[in-house]
Amino acid sequence: MKLLSLLTLSAMAATPVFAQETRQLDAHEHGVAQLDIAMDGQQIAMELHAPGADIVGFEYAAESADDRAAVDNAVAALARPLDLFVLPDAAGCSVVQAAAGLESEDDHDGEAEEHDEHAKDDHKDDHDDHEEQAGHTEFHAEYLLTCTDPDAATDITFAFFDAFPNALEVEVQLISDTGAKSFEVERDTPTLDLRGMF
Amino acid sequence: MSLGSLIARALTVSITILAIALSVALFLGVEKIRTGAKASFADTISGTDLIVGARSGSVQLLLYSVFRIGNATNNLTWQSYQDIAARPQVDWIVPISLGDSHRQFRVMGTTPAFFERYKYRSGQSLAVQDGAIMDDLFDTVLGADVAATLGYGIGDPIVVSHGLASFSQHKDQPFRVSGILEKTGTPVDRTVIVSLRAIEAIHVDWQSGAQRPGQSTPADVIRNMALEPQAVSAALVGVKSRLQVFGLQRSINEYPQEPLLAILPGVALQELWQIVGIAETALIAVSAMVVVTALIGMMATIFSSLNERRREMAIFRAMGARPRVVLALLVLEAMLMAALGAILGLACLYVGLLIGQPMIDSAFGLWLPIEPVTLREIWVLAGVVVAGAIVSMVPALRAYRMSLADGMMVKI
Repeated sequence: MKLLSLLTLSAMAATPVFAQETRQLDAHEHGVAQLDIAMDGQQIAMELHAPGADIVGFEYAAESADDRAAVDNAVAALARPLDLFVLPDAAGCSVVQAAAGLESEDDHDGEAEEHDEHAKDDHKDDHDDHEEQAGHTEFHAEYLLTCTDPDAATDITFAFFDAFPNALEVEVQLISDTGAKSFEVERDTPTLDLRGMF
Repeated sequence: MSLGSLIARALTVSITILAIALSVALFLGVEKIRTGAKASFADTISGTDLIVGARSGSVQLLLYSVFRIGNATNNLTWQSYQDIAARPQVDWIVPISLGDSHRQFRVMGTTPAFFERYKYRSGQSLAVQDGAIMDDLFDTVLGADVAATLGYGIGDPIVVSHGLASFSQHKDQPFRVSGILEKTGTPVDRTVIVSLRAIEAIHVDWQSGAQRPGQSTPADVIRNMALEPQAVSAALVGVKSRLQVFGLQRSINEYPQEPLLAILPGVALQELWQIVGIAETALIAVSAMVVVTALIGMMATIFSSLNERRREMAIFRAMGARPRVVLALLVLEAMLMAALGAILGLACLYVGLLIGQPMIDSAFGLWLPIEPVTLREIWVLAGVVVAGAIVSMVPALRAYRMSLADGMMVKI
């Protein structure tokens, strides 16, 4: 009996460990995207996170052909970093690697590409989920650029705002030889001055 | 001539000049403290890519872990620490454990790597002024201010207090001073550094914040214990490649087992300045208003002197001086006063800095460098003189008009 109660007790104590679900969400602010830039020698790594609302105008799982086309177009656009974040020609930058995708908070840890399947398989549930919890989706892109003359990269012009009319602001974090800095680039002044960052 | 006229009214003029001087000194002083504080903060940490701690706010984590200011953040479990240390992107990681104190100074537990990795003032390393980095478990390295204030030398014993300003002391495990660091102008100066294991060691016979009565484990036994910490306050992390910093930061921030926070020190500092910026602007505005007040005071004295000097003006006019000369005379006088005030104010600032520098340093840990006058300060001084000239235009124009009339009909 004693053993049994001990077992129950330990089981009870252990349950939360087994069913270890973590509930944590990132900040999600419509209109504001995050761009992290790391510069090291000739390499520039960038990581973009943008709310679905900024990029395609909706955050529910794409069901209609139109919506799906919009997501596909957006992902394709996000995979061309130099058209969104324009570096001076003199810097001679080219894309080594670019990946973009859509992720929702439901399958946060999953691969970005999985989302489409997910939406097809059980889009009914997914849709209900969204209605109840007002789930958010986020576009996520990672780039690796290489520049022949990084010193000539004196500024970045955010054509991003032209491509996505709902985007209002990009919060930039930048790491270079001079340390880490943060900037806010807004639609009205879509240029980031990089002088003094090398 | 205007100089002569100023000397003739020495008392009023000197008080006016003094008022301007004080206001200018205040304005420049505020500016100095503002930039000094900024530089001093920015110089405190360099070469660290990320600071990792329990999830709180980036400013809070930065202030507590690096500057030992503000509320303590939650601890970071040793398990998570080791997990992060094992990540392939991590080049080096240095734990920081705060919580105990010695007299008014914080005791920080860390690993010897701290002395190698901690950098201040754009990449300068810590240097030992006397003695050596700790070797034994019960060795301690003191910051320059700790040694200077408490008069400790190499080999002196130290008893660490539990918590801050607490009466329970870790008497049974005294430390020995093994080294004293060079002055850095950072919070390290006011820190007693011990090894992370030592922090565990002094708590060996302790339970729930108090010593178990009658128990005292001999030091040699403790030396052979494993002494693995349960938790640390924060960790400084260096990343192998700068390109991986954001990836590591994100993965730590999304670490599922424990709510953790990784911050970029530079970005957190910037956030802090954004918050402080409003107060800063207010402070500058107030001190600028003081300068304006002093200049208006000068205008008042010129006004009141106009009546006394009516005769003087009339004589000038009678001698053939044009009204324009009278105007120029008054403006020149005002500019002279403002210039003298500005120069005197600058002198006050330097005298004040000379006297106040060590006091501010020991009270707030803020090192204000005594530097030659900056271009910005010259602009401020020039601005004061120009503002003085503009302000004096009001009484001068009045004198100009009066002297026109008075010149015609002197009736005294």
